[in-house]
Amino acid sequence: MSPEYLAEVVESSTTVFTAQCWELHNSPPFGSLVRVDSDPPVFGVVSDVATRSIEPGRRPVAYGIPEEQLREEQPQIFELLRTEFEAVIVGYEDSPYIRQFLPPHPPRIHSFVRPCSKDEVRTFTGQWDFLRMLLSAPRVPTDELIIAAVRSAFEAWDRDRNYLVRAGKELSRLLKNDYERLGSLVRRISQ
Amino acid sequence: MRRAKVIGVVTKGSLVEGVEMKLAPDQSVEDVKAGKFVVIEGEKNEFFSMITDIRLDATSSDILVHPPDGDGLMKDVLKGTSTYATVCLRPMLMLRKGGRSSTELRPVKSVPAHFSRVREAKEEDVGRVFGSEEMGPQYFQIGTPLDMETPVCLNLDRFIERSNGIFGKTGTGKTFLTRLVLSGLIRQGKAVTLVFDMHNEYGYSAMKESSEGARGFVKGLKQLFGNKVALFSLDPESTRARGVNPDHEVYISYDQVQVEDIAILQDELRLNPTAIESAHLLYAMYRRHWLRELLSKDGDEVKELAEQVGAHKESLAALHRKLKRFEHFPFMVHILREGDAIDRMMEYIDRGIHIVLEFGRQTSMLAYLLVANIIARRIHEKYVEKSEKYFATQRPEDEPRQLVLVLEEAHKFLNPVAAKQTAFGQIAREMRKYYVSLLVIDQRPSGIDEEVMSQIGTKIVALLNDERDIQAVLTGVSNSSGLRSVLASLDSKQQVLVLGHAVPMPVVVRTRDYDEKFYREVTRTQVAEDLEKEIEILYGEGG
Repeated sequence: MSPEYLAEVVESSTTVFTAQCWELHNSPPFGSLVRVDSDPPVFGVVSDVATRSIEPGRRPVAYGIPEEQLREEQPQIFELLRTEFEAVIVGYEDSPYIRQFLPPHPPRIHSFVRPCSKDEVRTFTGQWDFLRMLLSAPRVPTDELIIAAVRSAFEAWDRDRNYLVRAGKELSRLLKNDYERLGSLVRRISQ
Repeated sequence: MRRAKVIGVVTKGSLVEGVEMKLAPDQSVEDVKAGKFVVIEGEKNEFFSMITDIRLDATSSDILVHPPDGDGLMKDVLKGTSTYATVCLRPMLMLRKGGRSSTELRPVKSVPAHFSRVREAKEEDVGRVFGSEEMGPQYFQIGTPLDMETPVCLNLDRFIERSNGIFGKTGTGKTFLTRLVLSGLIRQGKAVTLVFDMHNEYGYSAMKESSEGARGFVKGLKQLFGNKVALFSLDPESTRARGVNPDHEVYISYDQVQVEDIAILQDELRLNPTAIESAHLLYAMYRRHWLRELLSKDGDEVKELAEQVGAHKESLAALHRKLKRFEHFPFMVHILREGDAIDRMMEYIDRGIHIVLEFGRQTSMLAYLLVANIIARRIHEKYVEKSEKYFATQRPEDEPRQLVLVLEEAHKFLNPVAAKQTAFGQIAREMRKYYVSLLVIDQRPSGIDEEVMSQIGTKIVALLNDERDIQAVLTGVSNSSGLRSVLASLDSKQQVLVLGHAVPMPVVVRTRDYDEKFYREVTRTQVAEDLEKEIEILYGEGG
């Protein structure tokens, strides 16, 4: 098992999958690009991260002591918690191409998930159709997700300003006449 | 070879209104200039076009209500996508793709397909459209298109086929342009020119006007072309003072003045129509001596003369009073001692020698109008005679040489009233039928008769501001709306719009410099010819 894997698919559909992290709180950041090594390999953008009790009926109890101390005193309670994240599927690998549309099959349950390397991010975000997929994804904070996704890609492009300009142009096309929304997106992306 | 830059794609267009192009996002709108020469690469044809208008557009009016501020990222994002520049192009000529020669150029009968690429013109495009000096002596380089180094050529053969005009408001370099064009004509040698040089700017050294305030002198035509140019002077003293002897001094006798010559001076002399009537009465009695007769009388004798010819006393007295001014002109004489200057001019013209008629200090409009009209009338008569003879005999040796009369302040002769009376008006209308055409130079083209304007073949136009002048210059030009903005946006120096018969399509050029390099180039062939002649004299023909 390669060390960079950090989660495993536990729920899967054509448009979105949920992965459970092997380590508590060890989720890839919101808006980052992840890859499921399934057949075909699928790319997703992290759209929601949550940590909760394994048993739906049991809520954690507030102890009022720092986490370090709690870990020493009651390590077992951390075993009852899991970090999960949801990712919007934005494409898949159809070797040697990267496709920015939905894969023929959703990722298989128990497939391993890993964050994409810088090179992978650059290759993937060199195309722009994933922005449209994010825009049309249901039940996600769309604008926030786009801001986070573009900002994380921006890092992979070594904070190249031209990248932001191109992303902005793409968004302005997608948002058509919604100048107000475009303004707010661009403003927050560039902060 | 430099690869031409694509500056946009065609988005809209019509044959009537021209084509619109969306400027490529990576191009700065400020690099796009009205009047620039560009090429649209259609599917089957290339369209040679001129930029006529530039417009800023936005996809949404919200953007314009809340313009972006801050660090400019938003500005960059919007640039070229939501806010963009639309450039209006006027296709002027089309050429089948892959076509090489300028003879395949066709007027535009279609529009390029959607999203055809628009690129900057390359050097060879200019050559293909305008020809080059290597292609023959009829091509004369006049300048270069905006932002380019390839010469644009006038086709002088076509130029002399019709009357032409050089227009522009004061200080835009009309005189320089005229000198350029004349140099071209003299070098080519197909036509003979007669320049009415009111301000002594063409013959022998003239003041150089420079925007930097540096003044100097430039060479005149006589200095450049030697014995191909003859200097005639109405004021020999002034000509000599500038360091050159005129080839011929010009005197006009009173007997050479006809009533028509006076009629066009109506405005200048403030004569009323009855005065002209009186002159006709005098002419009826004294024939060609009428003016001499009138001016020889004084005081009461004028009244007696009026009774004698049956004219109105007061109006004849007024005519007498006003024509007395002629006696102050040193070139007006009773008897021509050295023969008729106009006959001499004709001799020179027949030998193909170009004439510059200097007015010296006789710069009054009155002298200019009077002399130019008398000479033009006489020369026109002689040319009609010669042409009629040629039409009758049809012998090539009888064919008169094409003559170009160069006329400053042309609106004085060619305004709607005068154009009907002066020889110039007649020449302009008859066009080339009698082998005489005009090169009119004027700063007020709106003052020129419309009929004359519409007959002008090639127009070289420097900056004009007045709406009426622009209108007048574009009379008879199809699809002139786009050219209007181009004309009004010319630089005030060294930039002209050339349109008409002698160029395949209208083009804005930066005129070439009138400097040492130019002197060398126009006289180069001259030197070679002179050498050949000398060799011929020394060694005999074929030697």
